[in-house]
Amino acid sequence: MGAAAVSARDRILARARAAASGASDPDRAAHVAARIAHAPEAPAPRQASSHGPQRLTQFMAKAEAASATLGRVSNLSELPKALAHELRKRNLPAVARVGSEPLFAGLDWGAIELSQGIGRVEEPVTLSRAEFGLAEIGAVALASGPANPVTLTFLGETHFVVLREADICAGFEDFWIAWRRRGLDPRTINIVAGPSRSADIGQVLQLGAHGPIALHLFIVAG
Amino acid sequence: MTLHIPTTPAFKANARAALDNANLQSALRGSRSNSVSKRAKARADLPEFDDLRDRARDLKNAVLANLDLYLEAYEAKVVESGGVVHWAETAEDAQRIVLEICRAAGAKTVNKGKTMISEECAINDHLIANGITPVETDLGEYIIQLRGEIPSHIIAPAVHVTVREVETAFRKAHTHLPADRDLSDLAALMHEARGVLREKYFEAEVGITGANMLVAETGQSVIVTNEGNGDLSQSLPRVHIVMASLEKIVPTLEDAATVLRVLARSATGQESTVYTTFSKGPRRVGDPDGPEEYHVVLLDNGRTNMLGTDFQDMLRCIRCGACMNHCPVYQAVGGHAYGWVYPGPMGAVLTPSLIGVEQGGQLPNASTFCGRCEAVCPMRIPLPKMMRNWREREFEKKLTPGATRAGLGVWAWVAQRPALYRLATRLAIASLRLTGGKRGRIRSLPLAGGWTGQRDMPAPQGDTFMAQWARRR
Repeated sequence: MGAAAVSARDRILARARAAASGASDPDRAAHVAARIAHAPEAPAPRQASSHGPQRLTQFMAKAEAASATLGRVSNLSELPKALAHELRKRNLPAVARVGSEPLFAGLDWGAIELSQGIGRVEEPVTLSRAEFGLAEIGAVALASGPANPVTLTFLGETHFVVLREADICAGFEDFWIAWRRRGLDPRTINIVAGPSRSADIGQVLQLGAHGPIALHLFIVAG
Repeated sequence: MTLHIPTTPAFKANARAALDNANLQSALRGSRSNSVSKRAKARADLPEFDDLRDRARDLKNAVLANLDLYLEAYEAKVVESGGVVHWAETAEDAQRIVLEICRAAGAKTVNKGKTMISEECAINDHLIANGITPVETDLGEYIIQLRGEIPSHIIAPAVHVTVREVETAFRKAHTHLPADRDLSDLAALMHEARGVLREKYFEAEVGITGANMLVAETGQSVIVTNEGNGDLSQSLPRVHIVMASLEKIVPTLEDAATVLRVLARSATGQESTVYTTFSKGPRRVGDPDGPEEYHVVLLDNGRTNMLGTDFQDMLRCIRCGACMNHCPVYQAVGGHAYGWVYPGPMGAVLTPSLIGVEQGGQLPNASTFCGRCEAVCPMRIPLPKMMRNWREREFEKKLTPGATRAGLGVWAWVAQRPALYRLATRLAIASLRLTGGKRGRIRSLPLAGGWTGQRDMPAPQGDTFMAQWARRR
């Protein structure tokens, strides 16, 4: 951005440096590098420490409390049938917008017309796969990319999300560890708890502000 | 456009007008107990809440102690992922940088997610003056943009607007829709705003969002929303600009989680907002959507001058709004009376820091020092102490009105003479009790019209504290 912006940077950093007290610059640098490499360990809240079958129970309860709906699917091949059932129940057309998610590629979708691509202005049904779930808050975490375009998460009027039960984490602590271990580096990580909402009109909460009016999670066993 | 010129010096007149505004008072009554009870429930549901507040305070203190190094680490990560960091020393710098990016993108329309930094820099006015149309997409921000106002609350910007006023604003703005349409219920209003803004998301060339946090470990900016507007604003246009003040840094993803755990609970009583989004850089190779450019405008605007001063702790603020939700003064007069971008206790401390005590010195006086703001602050910011610091500076700079100064002078002279002080208080108690008569209540009192104009003053019961103390020993 030219010379003026460069010197603004220098002046800002110089003021921050002048205010930093005590240790020498190399010591400070080592301290900050270490702090960024490892946050100090702290006990997770109980709410973020569920395990065993209780973790799934808590995840489902928290997701429902955030106004999401849920269904359990015994294995992936059952997913098209479960989606078809939900679409009929909700009086929605037998369509779904998806990305190139490999998990969906090998399935027999029957009468459901899947179209691949990004979100459009009118998008009645979108289908995504979440990388992880967080039992702490009943949320799913999606990674943007070709497999799951980010616009599908926000433009679908009803958003269906597939989550493997094994990918449900207890809370943010194990979630970040698992996230790093999977080596993911998408442009956006979208942590989603329920459908969109606003209380900006008359301070009364209404679902479906700009994003989905409904969020339905399919939890696939195993 | 003169919306952003502070009217903070007129706080008293603003407050009087707010108290006389029936619509505003009804809207404030509606939100008051709601936000307090929701936060109380969220706090009660998380036994570790106060421990998390300590951790949140400590992590922010760690950042502020070495802010230069954290900023450099963060910047390196943004650049590594293909983003650009712009350093803005002042609001004018930020205006210039944003306009340059918009012009380079050939922007006619700019979509905006909620950003207080943009309000602080009056970005909308600057874009309009240069022929670019900003569209606020947060529903509350959209409503007040239509009404030509600034936010009255940092979380609920349109909290002062009644439902019928929303309808009026929509009918005036959405002239392309049938005039006889039914907007009598809340759902119809929401549906209409959703439809109108959905079109706009696809028109804009640039999307501007704020940032609740900047993560030094990864170079990500974080936004939390319930509507999804911030995500549509950043995912659909070709260019994404993040406007953030530089104290928004947290070291790691784990630290971000700590802040998230206290933020939503303190703001709206939610365990989590609906959307928590971590963004870094432009779309990746192979990505079918997302912006092609990612810019971060890092705003200083006086903040580095707060480092190492009595006001450094204010830089821990995460803009949850709990302090104003719990403030008896804010609850009575609303946000606009404060006259600038940041209302309530956090605004009373931050405003003089950013625009000067000459302009903002009135605000720290708008406090009863009841201490609820500090009691609920998730970052444990000592707000009353800092307001007291501002009052001292205002006094030192001789900005306090003459009568107040004279009164304080007399009080100080007496207070430094204990025998005289005790005698004076004994006499005052005796005479007030006499005035109160059998009812024990005083209808009118010289120099206390501000109190007795609205209600009776109770007459003192019993003796002075010192006299009671002496008896008990």
